[in-house]
Amino acid sequence: ESISKQATEIWISKIQVNKPAVLRRAEQIQARRPVKKEWQAAWLLKAVTCIDLTTLSGDDTASNIQRLCYKAKYPIREDLLKALNMHDKGITTAAVCVYPARVCDAVRALKAAGCDIPVASVATGFPAAQTHLKTRLEEIRLAVEDGATEIDVVINRTLVLTGQWKALYDEIRQFRKACGEAHLKTILATGELGSLTNVYKASMIAMMAGSDFIKTSTGKETVNATFPVAIVMLRAIRDFFWKTGNKVGFKPAGGIRSAKDSLVWLSLIKEELGDEWMKPELFRIGASTLLADIERQIYHHVTGRYAAYHDLPMS
Amino acid sequence: MRTGEGLPGSALPIPLRGLQGPVLRADSRDPPRQLSSSAPSAPAASQDPGWRAFPWPLTVVVSLPAWLDTQDRHLGHYVNGQWLKPEHRSSVPCQDPITGENLASCLQAQSEDVAAAVEAARASLENWSTQPGAIRAQHLTRLAKVIQKHQRLLWTLESLVTGRAVREVRDRDVPLAQQLLQYHAVQAHTQEEALAGWEPMGVIGLILSPTFPFLDMMWRICPALAVGCTVVVLVPPASPTPLLLAQLAGELGPFPGILNVISGPASLGPVLAAQPGVQKVAFCGAIEEGRALRRTLAGWVPELGLALGAESLLLLTEVADVDSAVEGIVDAAWSDRSPGGLRLLIQEAVWDETMRRLQERMGRLRCGHGLDGAVDMGARGAAARDLAQRYVSEAQSQGAQVFQAGSEPSDSPFFPPTLVSDLPPASPCTQAEVPWPLVVASPFRTAKEALAVANGTPRGGSASVWSERLGQALELAYGLQVGTVWINAHGLRDPAVPMGGCKESGSSWHGGQDGLYEYLRPSGTPAWIPYLSKTLNYDAFGLALPSTLPAGPETGPAPPYGLFVGGRFQAPGARSSRPIRDSQGSLQGYVAEGGAKDIRGAVEAAHQAAPGWMSQSPAARAALLWALAAALQRREPNLVSRLERHGVELKVAKAEVELSVKRLRAWGARVQAQGCALQVAELRGPVLRLREPLGVLAIVCPDEWPLLAFVSLLAPALAHGNTVVLVPSGACPIPALEVCQEMATLLPAGLVNVVTGDRDHLTRCLALHQDIQALWYFGSAQGSQFVEWASAGNLKPVWVNRGCPRAWDQEAEGAGPELGRRAARTKALWLPMGD
Repeated sequence: ESISKQATEIWISKIQVNKPAVLRRAEQIQARRPVKKEWQAAWLLKAVTCIDLTTLSGDDTASNIQRLCYKAKYPIREDLLKALNMHDKGITTAAVCVYPARVCDAVRALKAAGCDIPVASVATGFPAAQTHLKTRLEEIRLAVEDGATEIDVVINRTLVLTGQWKALYDEIRQFRKACGEAHLKTILATGELGSLTNVYKASMIAMMAGSDFIKTSTGKETVNATFPVAIVMLRAIRDFFWKTGNKVGFKPAGGIRSAKDSLVWLSLIKEELGDEWMKPELFRIGASTLLADIERQIYHHVTGRYAAYHDLPMS
Repeated sequence: MRTGEGLPGSALPIPLRGLQGPVLRADSRDPPRQLSSSAPSAPAASQDPGWRAFPWPLTVVVSLPAWLDTQDRHLGHYVNGQWLKPEHRSSVPCQDPITGENLASCLQAQSEDVAAAVEAARASLENWSTQPGAIRAQHLTRLAKVIQKHQRLLWTLESLVTGRAVREVRDRDVPLAQQLLQYHAVQAHTQEEALAGWEPMGVIGLILSPTFPFLDMMWRICPALAVGCTVVVLVPPASPTPLLLAQLAGELGPFPGILNVISGPASLGPVLAAQPGVQKVAFCGAIEEGRALRRTLAGWVPELGLALGAESLLLLTEVADVDSAVEGIVDAAWSDRSPGGLRLLIQEAVWDETMRRLQERMGRLRCGHGLDGAVDMGARGAAARDLAQRYVSEAQSQGAQVFQAGSEPSDSPFFPPTLVSDLPPASPCTQAEVPWPLVVASPFRTAKEALAVANGTPRGGSASVWSERLGQALELAYGLQVGTVWINAHGLRDPAVPMGGCKESGSSWHGGQDGLYEYLRPSGTPAWIPYLSKTLNYDAFGLALPSTLPAGPETGPAPPYGLFVGGRFQAPGARSSRPIRDSQGSLQGYVAEGGAKDIRGAVEAAHQAAPGWMSQSPAARAALLWALAAALQRREPNLVSRLERHGVELKVAKAEVELSVKRLRAWGARVQAQGCALQVAELRGPVLRLREPLGVLAIVCPDEWPLLAFVSLLAPALAHGNTVVLVPSGACPIPALEVCQEMATLLPAGLVNVVTGDRDHLTRCLALHQDIQALWYFGSAQGSQFVEWASAGNLKPVWVNRGCPRAWDQEAEGAGPELGRRAARTKALWLPMGD
């Protein structure tokens, strides 16, 4: 049932990550695959379908959750989609992502909107994970009970920084069990892991323990989704796939605001993992303001003019 | 992990569940066609089914730079600030290497055009070189500004004509060109202080290769112009970018003649070199062309700087970040920033893992039109393609495994990224230079073996070492016989870091301080006079040993007898002796008559002593030189009387011995200050500029100043860690042999070897020896010419005096910085940092 200490050692002990080299690759990848014109519009729509539309604020209430859910259902203005001949393709965001206490509101709103977009809930003492394991597990169970089908858990950074990989594995295993049928998305909070080598090791442990997705960050750390970190995580995902045949998804979150960024993220996935990963089952972008910028770009593509903010519906 | 415990898969509890998330709605199969009926099809992508799902589209509209139209698509030469389009010249079409479309026609220069260009450079030399450095700095800065203003034209033209990916030209070459100008503007500004004692050489002839004409030119013209030289560039036919740059520079105004560009075949090289006034020829291109040029130009030009070959090396150890190393390999071979192919050495423990990752990565590389912004590799014309194809076919016939991701039709201008393995060092193919875009991978077992394999090639350009263990990485980096080593990176460049090579890759430098000295000479060096002797028969020079007869009994004390080889006096192989007479013609004694076999023995002894001496600390080297100085001092009466017998006045003889002692002490003290760390913009972390010994240095001493010249040449060579084979003064070798008696007790065996005998014969043996790393010759004009010609064999750097005597008793000529510069070679070691 539980993995041997030896196994964790072997899969992560020999790993070497060279930061300067990864930084160079990250710099290159942003310039090597520009996407323009029609292709850009298609890629942007693709990005929309991969967004976990997120609100994680202290002042979230039922009304702004409802707005968010309707925006998730109608991410791009209908006439713009029509102009692109994509109005009947059912383009929505991949999920909405909220705090556990707001899951009920989201489920209700989505039901009213008549769509089956999954509700993702953060859990396990988000964002710091500095609460007792018992309450963290309970959080997951309650969110699942309320109807969340995806759970974004944060890992315990203490275990990473003190090198307790086996304990980390055991904790994520328990999260996995608590999720039941819901998908487990494991947030590594890479901004607080200290080194890229730790990022790789934490990614590998999270996947070994059964995560469906690994996610860069909570959006609450000082450093969030960066390309160097993503490259390391994607390489871990590929290594895990090569070792086991299992495809684990990837979710960058935090700080992705512009349409241009989303294009780079897509091309990064395509370059490092391939086309198979370029779908919402295996790739998500955790974002709140990104969608507005993508919609503006699509507006420009369709009309040739730049939109005013009031031209496009808010979320 | 033991298999019983069930990894991968079974016991390891990995849930095998699919996600029930939203179904993919925007059909990813073919989005562009749904979006618009008039979507352009992407030519590169449509050839490659792997990309069809999400084609990277053609993103730059191919439009011919209007600049070509201003020349009516008919390019001439740019000389003295204006276009030169002589009549009755043949022209060569300049074609897009991918579509074959004719872009323009380029006139081919003839000797008259070359002469006109050199005349323009000569005419503007005096004005340019006497300008204050600040004025030259200003001019270079203005040129950088002009490049900035017209960069789009530059990168489009360069990419269009060379077929290289526009991204590389735009994001790397053009910014680097500006940085080069700015860096060298600063050097020009501080020249009066920083480079006091040096003066510009004069007119520089520069011969470029077709692959990177623009960047190669910038690396060389910037330092040349900065120090006050003027330049004539011979570009290969159909390379318009250097012409455009010359026009931009020429239109700046006051100094039109400092940069002149003519286009023509490489066969014009010797014509360019032979023009009166040309003081140096810098050549970049293929190794064999460089070798031929070295032979042709023997005795013609004072200086020939060669930068040859394009192959690089990558050494991947088992403690490396393999994924990042794979990116390094892509940069080093399968990109448009790499000049040539790559030899890849992989430690056996990570061989399989690396091969898998490489092949996976190769599948994602894109060949395509250079102006497509999403392309990794363009095409470099039919010649490059054929070269690669020939290498692949030959490797296959020798049993190699060849992996190519995707295939190109035989008439395609592209050559796909290629990985060759199973080609052991003994297969004939491995001896040849690896062409672009090939990677030849071979395994190694230990770091020691890696060094042996890596150094087991006549080429020594650049290399990278991939290892996360600092100690191992540094040891490999220090041990590699190359000009540049990157640790955990490949292909980084910066104007402040010298870039060059050793062995057959040529020993010229560009960038940094070393790049400046390529175009400088010590102030007051007499103007160069051609010393070419057309009648010199290279096959016969020094071939026969003159027979010598006994000349009678020795009078006075007998000099030490024998060849000083391997730390002791040995009888010569020929078992014969030559008489040495003093200035009155009376017999002073006999010295051993050395020959080819003795040279062989001496070189072997020197090689054996080399590792030990090289690893000595500078302090230990200094201590030995000082001990030798003390010994010389003790022997002063003896040496003075030997010199006196040779007809030197007592006062002068005493001064000579004293000065010799001083030289040893001075070089001993200078040993300490070598190498430095540089800080460059592109990198976090230092770049070390190391000064490494050349290896076995052969020195043919002049006849004059028999003791002082011997010591003045020996001391810097030893101080920089070389082991030495010396031929002492022919007329008066005895003082040198006296010193050998001291060295026998003081120095490690084989460190210094002294062979007496017929100078021409010994020079011939040394110059043709393939395992001597450098040769200094001070003798006749004919001997100098022969040395230059013969050095083409292993392209060893040579320093010859062309028959001109040198003032060894003067500080500048006898102990100046020039000797130190020539006694060691530079290695740049890049150390990126970060965790």
